[in-house]
Amino acid sequence: MSEYAIQAQELVKIFRTRWSRREVRAVDGISFTVEPGTTFGLLGPNGAGKTTCVKILLSSIHPTAGRATLFGKDSRDLLARLPIGYLPENHRFPTYFTGAGMLDLYGSLSGMDSAARARRIPELLELVGLDKWGDVRLGKYSKGMLQRVGLAQALLHEPKLLILDEPTDGVDPVGRIQIRQILQALEAKGVTVFINSHQLAEVETFCRDVAILHKGKVALTGRVKDLTATKGFRLTARQVPEALQSELGGVATGGAAVSFQIATLEEANAALDKLRAGRSLIESLVQTSSTLEEVFVRTINPS
Amino acid sequence: MIAIQTLALIRDTFREAMARKIFWGLFGLSTAMILFFLFLLRIDVVEGGTATLSMFGRSDRRMDVDQLVRGVHGGIATFLYSFGMFLSLFASAGLVPSLLEPGRIEVLLSKPVARWHLLLGRYLGNVLLVSANSVWLVGGVWVIFGLKTGVWTPQFLLAITSTVFLFSVLLTVVFLTGVLFESAALATMIPVALMIISPILAQEKTVVKLLSSDWARAVWKGLYQVLPKVFDIGHITLNLVRREPVESWMPVATSAAFAIVVLALALWHFERRDF
Repeated sequence: MSEYAIQAQELVKIFRTRWSRREVRAVDGISFTVEPGTTFGLLGPNGAGKTTCVKILLSSIHPTAGRATLFGKDSRDLLARLPIGYLPENHRFPTYFTGAGMLDLYGSLSGMDSAARARRIPELLELVGLDKWGDVRLGKYSKGMLQRVGLAQALLHEPKLLILDEPTDGVDPVGRIQIRQILQALEAKGVTVFINSHQLAEVETFCRDVAILHKGKVALTGRVKDLTATKGFRLTARQVPEALQSELGGVATGGAAVSFQIATLEEANAALDKLRAGRSLIESLVQTSSTLEEVFVRTINPS
Repeated sequence: MIAIQTLALIRDTFREAMARKIFWGLFGLSTAMILFFLFLLRIDVVEGGTATLSMFGRSDRRMDVDQLVRGVHGGIATFLYSFGMFLSLFASAGLVPSLLEPGRIEVLLSKPVARWHLLLGRYLGNVLLVSANSVWLVGGVWVIFGLKTGVWTPQFLLAITSTVFLFSVLLTVVFLTGVLFESAALATMIPVALMIISPILAQEKTVVKLLSSDWARAVWKGLYQVLPKVFDIGHITLNLVRREPVESWMPVATSAAFAIVVLALALWHFERRDF
């Protein structure tokens, strides 16, 4: 029995158009695992298969092949969805409900009894900063408010696994910070958070692990700190002879300084020796790291 | 848990239906009819068996009380069965496509609710809503006429059963169309078309004599057997309301079979679909 919060095994999804039966392979043998209590980011360009992958996990889409499990249970099993909270990207909550009414509906569908709903709904509205808006119809909510009440909906039944699709989309900067704080508090409580997002900086800050999808496959997966670790070294020097600058691929950075991006420690030492031999003045030698965005771009477009 | 979820699904259907003004229109029309019979139509029972009718304080008319009650009951049953049915179908047609809207269905499917449960919950909510309107109209008119004339005919209440039954049958078509095409317009047109062609198909014995080819006769008979028999069930309803004998219950049985097959198809397709 798997101990993973999520385990995707060789997932394949082929969509066929209704009339021409043309095949589109949206997901092509995706496998990854998410450990319980961790934060995981699913990244990829548009059309990479992220949303299809999330929908397979939630059983909105039936996989053509492969299998996904949630806390060891097949994702198609109803009970597998019991500990899951989900917020889709372009959600459309029924506007005839008030905020509290909508939470009551989804709480009931999550199997919460009336006492639990009566206790949790005000708590959640307060948590997302909508305690004064519970009796207002959703039709009057702004996009950011809908996103926050959507998050409340996902958290209502105290899920063990939270699956969020672009959770801060449309939310103002203050709201984003608030949502991030909520997610950090959940992480501290041991809730597994799975985020599908384009906000690379946000994923880099918040997630421990990521998987980058490209053309329906997992192009890269690992811990954020490992993936963004040492990219190389940056050597800055002054009074660099032109021949040496071009030999080592230096770039003038303003003033008289020249900067060299060097891949390995050995190459950095060799460059340092050459610069010293050329009587250049060494200003600094620092280790550089990649941003997740750089890792993402390198993965999607290696050239 | 299933009970909590089912109640929530029914409640959601009620809320959504009430957010659509047409259901209020349906209830408003029923209430207007009840108020009409309650306040505007004055019935004075004379010598036990005859009554004088007056409306707006004029046009007194003497007629047999029993005949009067039967006539009004028949009229109400016919109204409910035809115009009321059309309005109910029209109002219900959008309830499946709205459930399947992107951004809404994904959240519903992420909950620990089976797909068949989601669809049946909505179906049940829809049937209960129309049942409530039928009970309100038929029950209201029955009580008013009972109190005013002293004639209590429980057979009239069977109009509720037959209307709800036929609505439940036609609603399966609304659901199958909704699940297949997500179109409220189509989900209205197809069951209404079934209502319209039913009286034509019901002339089976006459038409079969007129058709020249065996093939055409077989098709006509087949369609009559397979499709819901709106016209025949309406006829049965009138017989019941007027306390007249029913010749055959076959239309009820075959229409029920049709509904079961169509609803099963809707559930099967809904289970298989990707959202």
